[in-house]
Amino acid sequence: MSSIAYKSEAPATVRPAVAYELSSRGAQWCDYAACGADAKYRATPAALLPASAWVDAFRALRDQHGFDFLVDHSAVDYPDRSPRFTVVALVESTATHERLLLKARVAEGEAFPSLAGLYRSADWAERETYDMFGIPFAGHPDLTRIYMPQDYEGWPLRKDFPMEGHLRFRD
Amino acid sequence: MADASTTDLVSATGSSEGGFLLSTLQSMVNWCRKNSVWPLPLGLSCCGIEFMATAASRYDMSRFGMEVARFSPRQADLMLVAGTLTYKMAQVMTRLYDQMSEPKWVIAMGACASSGGMFRSYPVVQGIDEFVPVDFYIPGCPPRPDAVLNCLIQLQKKIERDRSYRLEVEAPADAPIARGGLVRVEGRGEMAAPALAQSDQRWVEGTRPKAGVERPPTPVRER
Repeated sequence: MSSIAYKSEAPATVRPAVAYELSSRGAQWCDYAACGADAKYRATPAALLPASAWVDAFRALRDQHGFDFLVDHSAVDYPDRSPRFTVVALVESTATHERLLLKARVAEGEAFPSLAGLYRSADWAERETYDMFGIPFAGHPDLTRIYMPQDYEGWPLRKDFPMEGHLRFRD
Repeated sequence: MADASTTDLVSATGSSEGGFLLSTLQSMVNWCRKNSVWPLPLGLSCCGIEFMATAASRYDMSRFGMEVARFSPRQADLMLVAGTLTYKMAQVMTRLYDQMSEPKWVIAMGACASSGGMFRSYPVVQGIDEFVPVDFYIPGCPPRPDAVLNCLIQLQKKIERDRSYRLEVEAPADAPIARGGLVRVEGRGEMAAPALAQSDQRWVEGTRPKAGVERPPTPVRER
């Protein structure tokens, strides 16, 4: 599996104003063609942002470019990479139905800025990301586990977590 | 009154009017209990649908006096765990079990409740008996309503066998059971020790293990 290639110019499907907005904040755009991704995965333009520009970029997208709906927010664990995690967020404009996939990288144990102040849907989504990956979101109003019991140990969706969990076997 | 459990109910007058019945308190209580088992259904996944079918008119659980599904643990006798139990839900289940009044019984319905089923995965409890004592396990994924009915009938038989009202006599240290020989039991004749041991394992009121009691920590195995 080849890793995703990045380029500095945005795909043609992105509105120039949006492309400029993100590129000026240091976004690198995913070059789907270069990494041989299937055409059906190329529909959503994706960009890698510096973590420091994360909240400001989303605020600009929401307030100036109409991306008013945070569809999804999650993370991916790449244990071989440094920084280890890639946080992924998908926003949509409910007026034009454009979608944008934004990513940023974060190291293990490092705080990551929360979008809960911008999108209501980020609240639970970030709690899920925290629950599954142990990424602490700075500025989140209630960063507690959402699926697992509060006293659960470990972060289940990390690659080094045993898939069966910490099973309790009876003798 | 042709029921097997009530054969020791004797009508002293031979008439149905104004008579009285001679029996033991134990068999009267058991007879009442087994015909009014009110379930607390925990429909956690697809087994819950099969339980609904069991309760509905085609299979008709009410033939056994069990149609009164209670969603309050304080009014229920039987906790029927139908479905996949997660560790988060296990806290709720344990609390419900603790709130039920004695006597109470637990049925693990289906593969998930019995053993975790196909979910050998981090959030799923690998069998509800990690948390509560289970009387019956129903195999199947999900079990057919017939299997549930069969289990409920087995539960009635178990309730019939209950001897919680009998007097307990402490056995001497050199009781024959310890030697494994034949044991003479008043009113029952001679019986082999293992059978007696088995009959003695039936719980006596108040001695049943309760959930929430401190237990030694279960070993955690990294895999």
